[in-house]
Amino acid sequence: MAPRSTRKKAVEEAPMEEEPTSHQPTAEDEDASMADADVDQEDGEEANPEDEEEEEDEEVQRVRILPGSTPTAASFEFLEEGHTLGNALRYIVMQNPDVEFCAYAIPHPSEAKMNVRIQTYEGTTAIQALEKGLRDLQELCDVVTDKFTVARDEFSNRMAA
Amino acid sequence: MDYDPMAMDDAESLGPVVKISQADSVRVKFELSNADLAFANSLRRVMLGEIPTVAIDLVEIEANSSVLADEFIAHRLGLIPLNADGVESLLYSRECDCDEYCEHCSITLNLHAKCVGDENMHVYARDMVPSGDRINQTLGTPVIVDPEGNGPLILKLRPGQEIKLQCIAKKGIAKEHAKWAPSAAIGFEYDPHNKLHHLDLWYETDPKAEWPPSEYADWEEPPQEDEPFDYDAVPNRFYFNVETAGNLPADAIVTEGIKVLQQKLAGMIHELTEGEGDGANGDYNGPRSPEYNNAGDGWQDQGYTTPYGNGGAQSSWGGAGGATPYGQTPYGGQTWS
Repeated sequence: MAPRSTRKKAVEEAPMEEEPTSHQPTAEDEDASMADADVDQEDGEEANPEDEEEEEDEEVQRVRILPGSTPTAASFEFLEEGHTLGNALRYIVMQNPDVEFCAYAIPHPSEAKMNVRIQTYEGTTAIQALEKGLRDLQELCDVVTDKFTVARDEFSNRMAA
Repeated sequence: MDYDPMAMDDAESLGPVVKISQADSVRVKFELSNADLAFANSLRRVMLGEIPTVAIDLVEIEANSSVLADEFIAHRLGLIPLNADGVESLLYSRECDCDEYCEHCSITLNLHAKCVGDENMHVYARDMVPSGDRINQTLGTPVIVDPEGNGPLILKLRPGQEIKLQCIAKKGIAKEHAKWAPSAAIGFEYDPHNKLHHLDLWYETDPKAEWPPSEYADWEEPPQEDEPFDYDAVPNRFYFNVETAGNLPADAIVTEGIKVLQQKLAGMIHELTEGEGDGANGDYNGPRSPEYNNAGDGWQDQGYTTPYGNGGAQSSWGGAGGATPYGQTPYGGQTWS
């Protein structure tokens, strides 16, 4: 199946492609990984039981990949971000010639969440495209800061003269 | 269709251009050109809502015999602009190690006034006295720009009335409360002749006669008489008018705004690259590159899974696809063969 299919399609087609029984090993794998995760968590608690709460506060993951993603087509969920980052990021990611599609959405106004969908052509991944987008936007910010500082200094010199 | 995404016209390859048309102690007017609407709007939004400043956040009232209620005064105090010079070295109170507030995350201002004369007394922002250790001598002092040097009027006292209170000013951003806004207003404008038809002007008979031209109308070529609508045109020149509330210089609002935007981006990049490094696939999944998923094509599988490690179409009790925990679909037998 093409990697760039939508998530909805993928879910619908899943049972067709795989025998129902073939889910079984996967489920066991997932169980196993879950058990691992639990163990990891317990280790963490034992290591520093006191500042556990503070640790949690600090290490909130603000960006994650939504389920249904493939390497070249992924949806990212940003917490505590909005149109300020979303629209500018969307624009700058779209400028990347390796990107086939990029869009952002704020699924519900009362949830501080922002989703970005990136689909790339072969040869790069959605994560790389996102990272490049973030760096490009930083660069753009640098340029605008420089231009503004220069313009401001010029202006104040002109006023003083 | 011939399409080269890298092709840029010559003007665009020069990158963004900034021109300042007016700048003084309260405002800076500038034009940002060769930039995209998305970026210009991000800059506007970040300047409006996300630049940290200081404002009074807690008020402990010891005595108040004025005619105004405690909370009414507290609200007025919160809205007084305070000098935010050096706010970057002040901590957010929620990130500070102290219990409630301390000199690392707050500035204390005291106000004590009693009307002892026989005329009504005016209490101004200048009557607030900062106390305790401060990062510098200007951070947190009320902004006073009027010629009399009074600052905003807080309240009036009749003979015999007294007000005594302690204010705790904290760092914050306008997204949380507008009292932390550094700018009184940000003008943002593009396409003064409405060539792009982003505006649908209301009019009685003739929009040209009824709508005054924008102050930037002379900066751009007016449309020709029977000019056809250019559906490929995008906004390209943006006119900003940043007016400060006094807590930060107007030009600093612009540079700080870009800085905040960059910090956002840096935070995101940090999270993205960090997620790759430690290879932790657990809990609230950060983005990962494919390699870190149970080897090979695990990514495709990940497609149908929730962040909590179950198959998406599965119940959390481990059953497969559309199956009940007992291995059958809720609709009876297995029908795919």
